Amino acid sequence: MRQVTIQSILLLLLSWSSSAYSEQLLTPYKGAQPAPGFELVDVDGEKHRLSDYQGKPLIINFWATWCPPCREEMPSMNRAWQKVKDDVFMLAINVGEDEDTIFVFSADYPIDFPVLLDQSGEVIKQWPVKGLPTTFVVDREGKIRYTAVGAREWDDDALLEIVKSL
Amino acid sequence: MIAAPAMAGVTQSVDELTALVSWKMEVGNFELELAQLLPDQTRAFFMARGFSKEIANRIATGCILQTIGRNSAGKGEQVAVDVDLKQWRMLHNGIEGSIKLKEQWESEWPAGNVSDTARLAFHWATFPTQQDFSSGDFGWGMTSFGLAPGRRFDLKVVWSVEGEEKEAWIKGIQCAEER
Repeated sequence: MRQVTIQSILLLLLSWSSSAYSEQLLTPYKGAQPAPGFELVDVDGEKHRLSDYQGKPLIINFWATWCPPCREEMPSMNRAWQKVKDDVFMLAINVGEDEDTIFVFSADYPIDFPVLLDQSGEVIKQWPVKGLPTTFVVDREGKIRYTAVGAREWDDDALLEIVKSL
Repeated sequence: MIAAPAMAGVTQSVDELTALVSWKMEVGNFELELAQLLPDQTRAFFMARGFSKEIANRIATGCILQTIGRNSAGKGEQVAVDVDLKQWRMLHNGIEGSIKLKEQWESEWPAGNVSDTARLAFHWATFPTQQDFSSGDFGWGMTSFGLAPGRRFDLKVVWSVEGEEKEAWIKGIQCAEER
């Protein structure tokens, strides 16, 4: 019964949120502030710093496996990555979970771009995030140019053109 | 899903499989949905993220509703919708009160009583107390109304569009019963 109920709630959430895709919107970020720096490890233990990702636009997504809209948008993020990986960097920063949890998740939702672990929640605190998922688009100079609160269909060509132009 | 109009701008639906009820309000560019969560669902969610059974139970029996807010303005319309849960009011048995905010819950757990992992999950799984929705944004999370399972209440939802305050009542919301 619990399984049916949880599936039902997820379906409800998904049916609601998918209507957001009728319009692909990124919100211009006021002031184009420099993105807060970080140093985090990925699921393989490799270190990543924000400064490693300069010279191309960067999509940076804060998420968790238990967040229904995060789960919903992850496949489109992965498709977007396949489309623009030569022109754009992409990172997913998981909040509060460990490698094993993400490993299990990625069996159902493959992720081919780096997934970093913010297990202590210290990095997300430095970014202007109020809810999950929140995604930032950072230009090649390291400034936040757009935000998206809630899921988007990230492989939308028009949306990716905006990102590539930064 | 069976839907029936409840009041202007509000639709109440019952899930045919689970019999759980949700309320959806659409006024102008703001859409809000509140959906019942079974106490057992909420209890399981928080226990799986490191809360003790006692605290998970306290949260789960505090009338948790899944809450989804959305700014439905279309492309080309830059409309700011702001939501501050501190302004929302609930009416239960003729007494008006505030909803229980995430900060209130978090202040109830002394240091060392709840792990950092659990605190983090609670913080990000609950609806933000204050949230700005730009066009096309939507946010979700659990909200807590502090009533026992099965209780009913009316909710005054307050939001602002481009700084202009709006409000609407959703009547007859019911906290999910234990099953």
